[in-house]
Amino acid sequence: MTLALKAIPLPLLLYVLGTVASSTPETFHEELTLRPLRDGKVISRFSFSTLLGGAIPRNPDVLDAGNTPQHYSLFPLGLGQVLREYAATELHLSLNSGKWEYDRWGYPDEQEVGTGAQLWAWIGDGGQATVDERWKGLRNALAGLFCASIGSLDDQRTTSPTLAFAPEGDLPAWPLPHHLRHATLPSENVCTENLTPFLKLLPCKGLSGLASLLNPHRLFDADWHGMSVHVSWRARRGVEVRLAFQAVFDPVRMSTDRKRDWSLQSIFDRTIPKACPIAESSRIAVELPKNEAYAVDPRPTSVQDGVAVYDTSQVNDLDVSLRWPLESVFSYPLDHPAEPLSQVSVQRTLKGTSQSRGQLSVSIANSLPSEIQAIYLETMPWHVQFYLHTLKIVVDGQARDDLLSDIAYTPPEPHGRPALLESVLTLPPNSTTHLDMEVMKSFLRYTEHPPDAQRGWDLPPAVLVNFTPGGRRQRLYTRTLLVDLATPDFSMPYNVIIMSCTLIALTFGMVFNLMTRKFVVVRLKKGEKASKEKAD
Amino acid sequence: MNWKDFRLSFSLLVLCRLLLAVTPYVDSLELDHDHQLSSPTNSYVRLQEGIFLYKHDVDPYSGGAFYHSPLYLSLFTTVLPTSRFLCRLVWTLVDALGAWALVGIWRERQTLESSSRDTLIAAAYLFNPYLFLPNLALSTASFENMLQLLALLFACKGRASPALFFASILLHLSLHSVLLLPPFILLLLSSPHSHLVNPKFFIAYRNPKASLGTALSYIGEFLVYAAIMSLCCTTVAGGWGWVEKTWGVVLTLPDLTPNPGLWWYFFTEMFDHFRPFFLMVFSVHLLMYVAPICLKFQHDPLFASFALLGVLGMFKPYLTLADPGLFLSMYALFPEIYPYLYHPLVTTLLHLHAALLLPLFHSLWLDQGTGNANFFYASTLVFGMANGAAMVDAIWAGLRIAVGGRQGEDEGEIAVVQE
Repeated sequence: MTLALKAIPLPLLLYVLGTVASSTPETFHEELTLRPLRDGKVISRFSFSTLLGGAIPRNPDVLDAGNTPQHYSLFPLGLGQVLREYAATELHLSLNSGKWEYDRWGYPDEQEVGTGAQLWAWIGDGGQATVDERWKGLRNALAGLFCASIGSLDDQRTTSPTLAFAPEGDLPAWPLPHHLRHATLPSENVCTENLTPFLKLLPCKGLSGLASLLNPHRLFDADWHGMSVHVSWRARRGVEVRLAFQAVFDPVRMSTDRKRDWSLQSIFDRTIPKACPIAESSRIAVELPKNEAYAVDPRPTSVQDGVAVYDTSQVNDLDVSLRWPLESVFSYPLDHPAEPLSQVSVQRTLKGTSQSRGQLSVSIANSLPSEIQAIYLETMPWHVQFYLHTLKIVVDGQARDDLLSDIAYTPPEPHGRPALLESVLTLPPNSTTHLDMEVMKSFLRYTEHPPDAQRGWDLPPAVLVNFTPGGRRQRLYTRTLLVDLATPDFSMPYNVIIMSCTLIALTFGMVFNLMTRKFVVVRLKKGEKASKEKAD
Repeated sequence: MNWKDFRLSFSLLVLCRLLLAVTPYVDSLELDHDHQLSSPTNSYVRLQEGIFLYKHDVDPYSGGAFYHSPLYLSLFTTVLPTSRFLCRLVWTLVDALGAWALVGIWRERQTLESSSRDTLIAAAYLFNPYLFLPNLALSTASFENMLQLLALLFACKGRASPALFFASILLHLSLHSVLLLPPFILLLLSSPHSHLVNPKFFIAYRNPKASLGTALSYIGEFLVYAAIMSLCCTTVAGGWGWVEKTWGVVLTLPDLTPNPGLWWYFFTEMFDHFRPFFLMVFSVHLLMYVAPICLKFQHDPLFASFALLGVLGMFKPYLTLADPGLFLSMYALFPEIYPYLYHPLVTTLLHLHAALLLPLFHSLWLDQGTGNANFFYASTLVFGMANGAAMVDAIWAGLRIAVGGRQGEDEGEIAVVQE
């Protein structure tokens, strides 16, 4: 493909692309944001969005009518086919690894930072297949597309929250409503084989433009990394696929001289060789440090609001670097920042040492001077069952049960669907709210335990959705928990069956012996013939 | 001793139990989470959870851990209190009612207004650790035992309607109480008096002109009461989901929480392919005891129901200590069989053994993590042996007493064997 591109002269290529683009306007934008933090780390966020102008999601009513041929030039064909096959209107998939530290890194640009795999989709009702059948097909198709075990997000992990996951785009006004399906798999590991299909969905693949910086050796060495795919539809624009990759690097750890100076070469071990010719806009935004002496190289195209912007639509081996020339060695700041990086933070733990019960404890700190209304969402697999009547809310030592309202609870089904607890929580200003609830740990069947049963089960993160003053919904994810469930002895099925059945059979035998036999008196007088006397 | 003395001693016993129920030390023991004292079908914590969900307009039977009958929901949202302290008093009074019913059954059996053994029998029920510990843990097994004894009392008195009414309520609390219906009918038709010594074929003492039709009319009355109760349950629960979650649970065993019974570990280790077959086998196994025991003890239906309670107390799916506890307390009603018990010491020692091992191994497995599930399973096997020994010994003695000749056997003149 690259050889063919080099053979065709550039003006002819642009003409061909222009004619193709004018029939179904497809545009591609790419952006890289780099933000250095106080503790020396650098948050990098890649965002690649392909817009299929004028397109409408497929109506499930016409699923049986057969697919009309779709011609894409920039829009990823594999993903497009999957979306049309299962008539999904909006889709968000994230594959993350690590725990996002809100206190130290602030709020992420890409909100979906829950550990593991998370998939949520708005699917319209209609047609022959039900929403659940198409959800299952969508999961399995995405599992094949991304080489991740998304197919195991089955009934035991799927819920339908009503408030927390509102559609980010628009939903077409069809006669039947859309339904949300949400599932998480916290124990999913992310690695190169998930990155490779991700890169294949980009128009320039990983060969030119900003995507050429995605070096798996460095990305998966980062303190936190996650990739996400977002598909949404805007009424006046069309269907947009946005692929994002977020990673938190530690230049101090990777440097030889304990300095926090970084460059694209030092972080990614690569530079940008050339621009992606199809990108309509391509830029790198570097947040510049405040109140510190820094040197950024090369000269940025423009500096707006403390952000150095590089226009990378025409580059040749670009390497952006940010140095602190007055610093010889980076010293980790031991004091707390003047302003917390995240105004609302959540901690969730599972307490208790018993394998039959425990206590789920959530503490939410609100450092804003005003009261916040937030939605608290908990999707708990049936392995851990809530005792909702033990839910207690304590704010700074005082019991405040009035802070939790509009509780929507779906109880879990053993060996089936997870519990769904969604409620509106009012967080008082400048305080820490503690929620405590007793939970019961279930006892699983022999065949339900995984092969490494003593590791425990990963519990999905809780989600706290609060509304920023700008009206945007902000989702905070707690960390995943590991619950230790009681295991039977795996070497003993035969022994248990025979021992229990022996006891039952012996008792049965003795009782039925007594039922069916008669008593007989035998005279034992010495010297006399024993005579029998039937007695009953 | 006249009746005034029993009233006084009974009140003293109940007072002692009330004092035990309200001591703060009992609260600190956290008995209501103990797996020996309450099972998923009669746990107080799950009852609280169900009542909470019901009060907040969530269907408690749509999922989750609530396996109690809707009758409990209606009772606790209207008449009975839900605060812990008042619940302890209510549970103690339930036990007192059960003890009073047991004494009443004894009196009916002996045809006495009062006897010198009344206090002993009341104490055998109120101070049996297998019964008062689940009661302190607020397990609803106390309600089941109380209703069982009340139904037996009215059956002994020959009053069919109250007996069948209580039996139909009991059917909704515990499905396996339907196994006791045949001896119930026999008891209603005949008498509670002890005919163990001279067994004959069944004689309908109360109604010489009784026929199969009378028995069928009793069964019909029971079914009518049960149907009315089912409609009440459906009204309370707002649908038929409660059937799968109350009666279905004891047949399909979805919850594998450990208990002193034999089912949970068996079905934990069972492969999925064989689950339905063995669930069927275990349930049909319980059914198989009904006819032979009723036929063999047709001369004494109260003893037949006692033997069947022993069977249930050993083989119930969600067993607690209260089920064999009822059986052991009812031993007090049959003093005539004591000389003919074959191995009472072995039974007592096995029970002591099991009673000490069960909480120890349970704590080692789940709380401390130094033991594994096999320890607790072994102690449930010992408990099963203890229950089996008690039940088989009672049946042996009940049959052996008909032959008599205890003294001759002791002196070595005769030997009584089975053939």
